[in-house]
Amino acid sequence: MNLRKSLMVWLAVVTVMALVSGCVATPPQASNSATTSTGGEAAASSEEQITLRWANIMDATAQEQWALIVDAYEAENPNIDIVAESTAGSGAAIYPDVLKTSMASGSPPDLFFMWGGSIAQPFIEADQALDLGPYYEQYGWEENFAPWVLERISSDGKLYGVPYHARGMGFWYRTDIFAENGWSVPTTFAEQEALCASMKEADMYCISLGGKFGWHTMRVLDYFLEHHCGPEIHDQLNRLETSWSQQCVVDSYSTFQTWINDGWVTPDFLNVEPNDSRFPFFAGEAGLVLEGDWYEGVLKNNEQDVANYSFYLPPTDQEPLRFSTFPEQWMIPVGAEHPDEAAAFINFITSAETQQAMFINDFSSSATVGVNPDCEEWPLSCEWREHILGAESTYPPTDQAFVKELMDDFFEVQDTLVAGRLTPQEGADLMQQRVEEWQAQ
Amino acid sequence: MSTKLASIKNQERFTSTILYIILITMAVVWLAPFLIIVLTSVRNMGDLIENGVFAWPEQFVLSNFERAWNIGNFSTYFRNSLILIILKVPLGIVIASLAAYPLAKMRFRLNNAIFIFFLMGLAIPVHVTLTPLLVMMKQLGIQGTLLALIPPYVVFGLPFQIFVMRGFFRTVPSELLEAARLDGSSEMGIFWRILMPLSVPALATLFIIDALATWNELLIALVLISATEWRTVPAGLLQFQGQFSSQYTQLMAGVLLSITPIVTLYVFLQRYMVAGLTAGALKE
Amino acid sequence: MPAKAIGRVTFEALSQSPLLDQGEMAHMATIAKHNEISKQRSDQMRRRRPLRLTPYLFIMPALIWYLIFLVYPMFQSLVISFMDWDGLSANITYVGFANYRNLLFEDDTARQAIRNNILWTLGTLLIPTVIGLLLASALDRDLRGRTLLRAIFYGPAILPLVAVGMIWAWMYNPQFGFINTILREIGLGSLARGWLSTFETALPATFVTAIWGGVGFPMVLYLAALQAIPKEQYEAAKMDGANGRQLFFRITLPWLREAHVIVFSLAVINSFRTFDLIYTMTYGGPGRITQVLGTWMYFNAFQYYHAGYGAAIAWVIAAITLVVAIPYIRHMSRE
Repeated sequence: MNLRKSLMVWLAVVTVMALVSGCVATPPQASNSATTSTGGEAAASSEEQITLRWANIMDATAQEQWALIVDAYEAENPNIDIVAESTAGSGAAIYPDVLKTSMASGSPPDLFFMWGGSIAQPFIEADQALDLGPYYEQYGWEENFAPWVLERISSDGKLYGVPYHARGMGFWYRTDIFAENGWSVPTTFAEQEALCASMKEADMYCISLGGKFGWHTMRVLDYFLEHHCGPEIHDQLNRLETSWSQQCVVDSYSTFQTWINDGWVTPDFLNVEPNDSRFPFFAGEAGLVLEGDWYEGVLKNNEQDVANYSFYLPPTDQEPLRFSTFPEQWMIPVGAEHPDEAAAFINFITSAETQQAMFINDFSSSATVGVNPDCEEWPLSCEWREHILGAESTYPPTDQAFVKELMDDFFEVQDTLVAGRLTPQEGADLMQQRVEEWQAQ
Repeated sequence: MSTKLASIKNQERFTSTILYIILITMAVVWLAPFLIIVLTSVRNMGDLIENGVFAWPEQFVLSNFERAWNIGNFSTYFRNSLILIILKVPLGIVIASLAAYPLAKMRFRLNNAIFIFFLMGLAIPVHVTLTPLLVMMKQLGIQGTLLALIPPYVVFGLPFQIFVMRGFFRTVPSELLEAARLDGSSEMGIFWRILMPLSVPALATLFIIDALATWNELLIALVLISATEWRTVPAGLLQFQGQFSSQYTQLMAGVLLSITPIVTLYVFLQRYMVAGLTAGALKE
Repeated sequence: MPAKAIGRVTFEALSQSPLLDQGEMAHMATIAKHNEISKQRSDQMRRRRPLRLTPYLFIMPALIWYLIFLVYPMFQSLVISFMDWDGLSANITYVGFANYRNLLFEDDTARQAIRNNILWTLGTLLIPTVIGLLLASALDRDLRGRTLLRAIFYGPAILPLVAVGMIWAWMYNPQFGFINTILREIGLGSLARGWLSTFETALPATFVTAIWGGVGFPMVLYLAALQAIPKEQYEAAKMDGANGRQLFFRITLPWLREAHVIVFSLAVINSFRTFDLIYTMTYGGPGRITQVLGTWMYFNAFQYYHAGYGAAIAWVIAAITLVVAIPYIRHMSRE
């Protein structure tokens, strides 16, 4: 009969499916069972075809350029097949989720991109990141990178990642507008404020911000904290070793509110996309943006004349003059199938020879010492590299010092201050209260 | 008498004019975002930055499309998303319709309970199922391939489709089914030869809704599929935004490219539905 | 002979499609009336028929699929909701109802989120639903270009989220945004502001986008229902001297019952699950003022490494929607 026949087919299909998935379904914490084979011995079976899964956040343009390097590596190592698993997107916001899910379900990539500091910390604490100490010895990586970069990515004295980018941030400005108005680069905080005041007189905003996600606004607050609190206390604040409810924090908040109330900041910026904050800057409606060494590439992408732009390190009136920097790194998951091969690949892509021989835009922020972009073509990046790799001391952006949950508390206080719904004192008290609540957890 | 008729006519004309004005105003508002996408996709980045996104382009260029097509890997993403729609959407709708038939037209003990049980699926947030789903796909050996997307996509569509198909089947007169039963048709026969043909327009509507949802689904696709060669269209669109840069013009060109097949499908389906219906009407 | 009869009788049923131009087709009132009567008769017949196993066989594929790929993962998340777990490591501790207790009694943001969800739900029940119904009634008329208009109002569903987010961010931009520009042009410059950046207006502004994207769906469902109403019913009532309002309440509304059930219950369910638009447009900000349960669950489970807490929020979302929607659906689907 027709009915029976079709139903039998259906039943058979679903029963098989049920059996297959029913038998094997287990709770999702399989990843820790994977053995942690660390370096020392090179891959035993060089004949065997190996696929390396490489998780990163490269956009299409970066992938296109990286193909050169990947091809070269595959040519040198015919048994290795590199498969890039790129999750780009604005601010790379989804990437950590994708990465986390792959680990939680026991199918991590062989190597992955990660920011520094507190963003990497949860992976380390959850025993998902391999201690790369042995590989550091094997390949002698320590020599390749600036000391502060290694310092910043280490956790409890151990290294779980290999530096990829070393980035720094400062104020970018239009040289033509500065020349027109007779402005000069400020060297003290007072001069900085005077500059903002004259920009206001010239009917410009001093700085353009995009407050959505919080971190763009945070950069300005970080700067004020560095100025008001000084290097020592700023670092203690970041490590939660001192109270946030103290005068220099109140002063920083208060300075921020003053800047906003005086019309020095683009108005109503709280939910503007950070990328969209470029419009007023490029249009000459705002004098400054607080952006990093990558901005020269952004200028080019946006068809701006790079000759009209330059940058300076925000004056803090502190000794030493510190600016905000952050590293990005390559890590190997504990559950990686081919950790040794992944380490060999990392060694290749971070080495000065490779990067110098096959220089692509991405390497203009390289963490590797001795790699330099063509200074004719990338004058500002060149200048940045001297600052970044030669820096005596720098401070991390708060979002690489705090875990995300506490960071969002910080952002909430920050937004509420911007909206004028809190006085600086109330803001500092609330921040301290949030810190204590978080510590109690 | 005639004046009264005339006044009624005038009034009707007046009403429909007002209606037109309202509808067209609304349509313009509804279309405005599309216009901005088009305008952004046909200009240079420098022009966009200088004159703002709402200004008329200084110069119309097609280079964004060319560049978007070249770096966007669209042929691969189109292939994947289309395969997915072809495999997933009919499968889901058939399974849902099969279940909707007894829920709408048969009396049995657990009818209401099962219906409610299915409806509960509507309330489940996708995120919490991601990790278990990935584990399952891994164990089924299909993780990372297009096939891995089919089970979750089908299942997240089921509750809504059952809900709608049940509602639709309920409006089909029961004596039609009775007549067929008296003629000796099996239940399966009734389903395939009476209910489904009658439901072609409803099915096509569901097909459109489901195909659009499938075409634009991002989160599950990103988590379950990591290799570029099996990524779908929305995941591909992410590539136009880097960590520090946004290529607005290329992105918008990419967006337009990305919706072209689904718009075509939409137009095609609409025709197919009309044709299917006319064919049915001519049969008598 | 039955096959041919079927072709005629089901004309009404066929006309359900919202995308069809119904005006071109004749309606068969007599047959429709006949259907009404015979429905009761056939129901009685059905009761006598022995259909024990058949319904379950039909339901089986969907049910098994559903059990494996939705119920099972959801059950896992129920287990996780009683745990303290970062979602990554092997350290899982059983904490009983602690997650639920925190959520319901201690978490200020969760309270804000629930408040936002309720506002969002009320808004969705009122505005896009009513606009959808009005559009459907308008486009149910014999208007030129109505097929195109339907496509336009359902159009936002075609756009990927990344485009929606970006375009609307531009529309609302405090400096160059389209909406502020218009306000300034028409002399309402004092109203111009960063709609998404202001604490008071961020949620309503996001909701405006939701209206733009959300009228198409109820419109399509209402159109389907409206087109199924036999025109003869209206004519008969008109002959009896019924006015427009009476027609609407006596004929239109009762016929829309099935559509109301679907539209209203989906409005409630989807409002409590809402995630995409908030995540894309405000990211829960400024501050945490626009957090809803969906985004708060996501932030906890994925960004704060509280998988257990996130799962608890997911279950609260499910529980609230079910408590509201299911009794309503049950009540309405009783014949």
